[in-house]
Amino acid sequence: MSRIRALIARVLRSGHMEHDLRDELQSHLDMETDEHIRRGMNPAQARRQALLNSGGLTGAAESVRAQRGLPWVDSLLADIRYALRTLRRSTAFTAVVVITLGLGIGANTAIFSVLRGVLLKPLPHRDGDRLLYLRQAYDGLGGENVNFSVPEVNELRSGAKSLGQIAEYSQWTQNLEGPNDAIKLNAGLVSGNFFDAMGLSPILGRLTRPSDDGAGAPPVMVLTNEFWMKRFAGDSSIIGKQVRLGGASVTVIGVVQPAPFFPDHVDAFLNMVVSPHHVSAMMVQGRTHRMTEVLARLAPGATLDMAAADIAALHSRMRQEHPDAYNPASHYRIDVIPFKTAIGEKARLTLWLLMGAAAFVMIISIANVVNLTLMRGVRRQQELVVRAALGAGVSRLRRLLLVENLVLTLMGAALGLGLAFGGMRLLIALTARYSPRASEIHLDLVALAFALLLSVSVALLLSFAAFLPKDGALASFISAGMRMSGGLKKQRLQRALVVTQVAVSVVLLAGAGLLTRTMIRLADVPTGLQTEAILTVPVSLFNSAHYDASTDAENKALYTRMQAELRALPGVTDVALGSTLPLRASMMSLNMKAEGEAPSSTGVAPLNPEVRTVGPDYFRIAGIPLLKGREIQTTDQPGSGKVLLINKALADLLFNGADPIGKQLAFTGDVIRFTPLNYEWRTIVGVVGNTKDAGLDVTPRPAVFLSFAQEMAIDGGFVIRANSNVTSLVTSVQRVIQHIVPTTPIGEVMTVAQVKDQSVAPRRLNAALISLFGILAVVIAAVGIGGVLAFSVSTRTNEIGIRMSLGAASGQVQRMIMREGGVLVALGLVIGIALSFFGGGIIDGLLFGVAPRDPVTLVSVAVTMAVIGIGACWIPAARAARIDPAITMRS
Amino acid sequence: MPKTDVKQGTLALMILTTLDVLGPLHGYGIARRIEETSKNRLTLNYGTLYPALVKLEQEGFIKAEWAQSENNRRAKFYALTAPGRKQLARERKEWHQTAHLIAAFLAPRSETT
Repeated sequence: MSRIRALIARVLRSGHMEHDLRDELQSHLDMETDEHIRRGMNPAQARRQALLNSGGLTGAAESVRAQRGLPWVDSLLADIRYALRTLRRSTAFTAVVVITLGLGIGANTAIFSVLRGVLLKPLPHRDGDRLLYLRQAYDGLGGENVNFSVPEVNELRSGAKSLGQIAEYSQWTQNLEGPNDAIKLNAGLVSGNFFDAMGLSPILGRLTRPSDDGAGAPPVMVLTNEFWMKRFAGDSSIIGKQVRLGGASVTVIGVVQPAPFFPDHVDAFLNMVVSPHHVSAMMVQGRTHRMTEVLARLAPGATLDMAAADIAALHSRMRQEHPDAYNPASHYRIDVIPFKTAIGEKARLTLWLLMGAAAFVMIISIANVVNLTLMRGVRRQQELVVRAALGAGVSRLRRLLLVENLVLTLMGAALGLGLAFGGMRLLIALTARYSPRASEIHLDLVALAFALLLSVSVALLLSFAAFLPKDGALASFISAGMRMSGGLKKQRLQRALVVTQVAVSVVLLAGAGLLTRTMIRLADVPTGLQTEAILTVPVSLFNSAHYDASTDAENKALYTRMQAELRALPGVTDVALGSTLPLRASMMSLNMKAEGEAPSSTGVAPLNPEVRTVGPDYFRIAGIPLLKGREIQTTDQPGSGKVLLINKALADLLFNGADPIGKQLAFTGDVIRFTPLNYEWRTIVGVVGNTKDAGLDVTPRPAVFLSFAQEMAIDGGFVIRANSNVTSLVTSVQRVIQHIVPTTPIGEVMTVAQVKDQSVAPRRLNAALISLFGILAVVIAAVGIGGVLAFSVSTRTNEIGIRMSLGAASGQVQRMIMREGGVLVALGLVIGIALSFFGGGIIDGLLFGVAPRDPVTLVSVAVTMAVIGIGACWIPAARAARIDPAITMRS
Repeated sequence: MPKTDVKQGTLALMILTTLDVLGPLHGYGIARRIEETSKNRLTLNYGTLYPALVKLEQEGFIKAEWAQSENNRRAKFYALTAPGRKQLARERKEWHQTAHLIAAFLAPRSETT
């Protein structure tokens, strides 16, 4: 590096140095002349003698310049000028190479930047690689991540010596009231040691500390940097102020440094005391009251394996001591996952897939560029031989080629960086769906170095692959008439490259095909709703912190009023009331037991359905089929017997074909005491169809629907039907609600179709990106096949001419050339299909509704590639068939 | 005795020694000193001397600075640097060893075969 800098400085200073050298030599001459004069010569004589002794000033200056190394730079500049001139002369070649390389380098640089930002770069947390995420899970529906209870956390804290610090976190939402509006605040309730354990520092004020734990501590709030900027415009005077959160006052104590937050993207952190539930005896003492996520830091000297072993031992003891809390049939376990891995879990497969696809595009484009350069090299053979014969050394020519290729590839790199820069926003948006680290992505120096390294390597490869006459072998070339011919070895290399291009294109196409089919399958999945033209509007009046019986009637009255006013809007035909609207995931699932069933402790996993509430006519208006029984009616009032509906998934699970109508269900478990529900038996009055609420690719979970009027309200919202386009109603709906409940945040107002579309969007982007790469690959490969074949035809013009004059029909010639290309395409196809067949399993995790070795996809990919390949061969073959033997023989 | 050109590799040592003995000196002074020391058997034209000076400067053994000469001419003065001093000691030692070695080889054979 310092040498390069010195070189640049020297070039810049060269004018000054020339001057300096002249002065120095002049002063030498003058002093010597002085000396001669002192010894008695006359000035003219003295000067002559001095000049004589000098041995020639010009020669001396040149030797000094040579010693300084300037000629090297001069000739390099000359080489660059020459390279630019040659490249300008062959515009088509330059354009194809630069664009091909640009696409390859652009795709790789962009995706590498994302990969590095999201998966590879160290976390901003202090010693981030020592952070762990613990996940308790059991077999069966809803058991993927059941969190921890406070007693479990306490046992881990006291028992696991390999964990230095264990922090608690639970997700919590509350309405944050501002002077003019209210928003839904996504917050994390954390233990006092949370930030210390995570290795995060404040950028303003202070963070929580152990003294903020417990029921007696004043409620405090730490803002994330992002939320502080967004909501408070980075105003530092907010520190120490009180904010209104769900009717209570909370003091803002600080802002935490920017960092990715996991498991949720939150706006702020609060101490546990803001949620009375979280400091209640039930929460603190209930072993099955699992609402806490556990983040931990490895103790000094401890390793991941030690922590996993420690925790496995502790957990097995817990299971022995409390058999009632760990149903043996469910196989409870705790996974110990490095925090960085946990954060990248969702993004990993997609990103590596994209990186692989980009690398494939790079392989194809390099193969193409090498092919083009080889062909051009053969055409330039004559020029190079002449240059060599005129005295340019082979090493000088090699350097000339290297400079030319460097200029070429660096131009490609510049284009690529431009493309990468442009594509970055799209990629960041894509990644934000999978990773909390998307904000850390930017085209960084490593990516830049990566692009430069790629282009320099390609340049070296190209210069190495180029033909150069050997010193001393010139005569034979010249005497051979300098005929154009690639040479068997070169042609074999070109063919191998074509086969590679076809094979790699096939693999990319197969991946694109599978992902596209996945997307189509997913979009085709029935949602369970009979129509998608329904507007869904979540309106949350309630504090999850405390369900207050005293305000319940008032809240219900507000909902009824909103429902009435919405129904009165012009265009609206029907409005139903319900909590957790269709196709939106529910946060609430509770243990239940069926009438006559023993309390679940032996052998079977407990029933754990999602809980929703609905008003009269909800299912008809939402378009959810009523399979059996009846809907909630206006007669199902608090005074009458409590009723509920269940979905088909629950009916199948619980009643196995028997008629569930009239059977009874009740909630079980300690948690119920902290909900607005109770342990009363509720009678099943109806069964409704399943809806894909947790995602189109997720098996519907069992669910119960309680009567909105009979229960204390949990949450609320509306489903709206209109006699025309429902989307045109959005603003008027928002206005009505805002008018009635101005301080309540309104959730996203979306049609069912929009909700569905949103859930397919990431897959669509995946499929689109890979398809883009696939199409790119095929186009580049087609250019490659066509180019190589055309070149082969042009070197065989003589031969073909002879064949034709000896009686070969033009159809025969065409077939011959087609065969030559067809063999390459077929070989590439076979290899590509084999690779796709055996490698398909890699992307299994991203597929839905198609097998990784889906024969339909593979066959259509093979057919597509074959058609394109044959098409690419056709043009040069047709040209070969048109060769006029008379002309070729004469030339 | 005919004048000869400087042998490859010896000039650097001569320059370093000159600067060591005389202190900072301009190119002309260095050339005169070397010619005098060799009793005028060596001639140093510019094309030999100045590239050698540039090389030594690049290697960091000497540094150059413009200053007024003794008879009031502006001249570029070269001076030894610390690494230059070390290099001189090293080269001097090597030359002595080589000289001894060559002398031993060139001495009339004394042992019998």
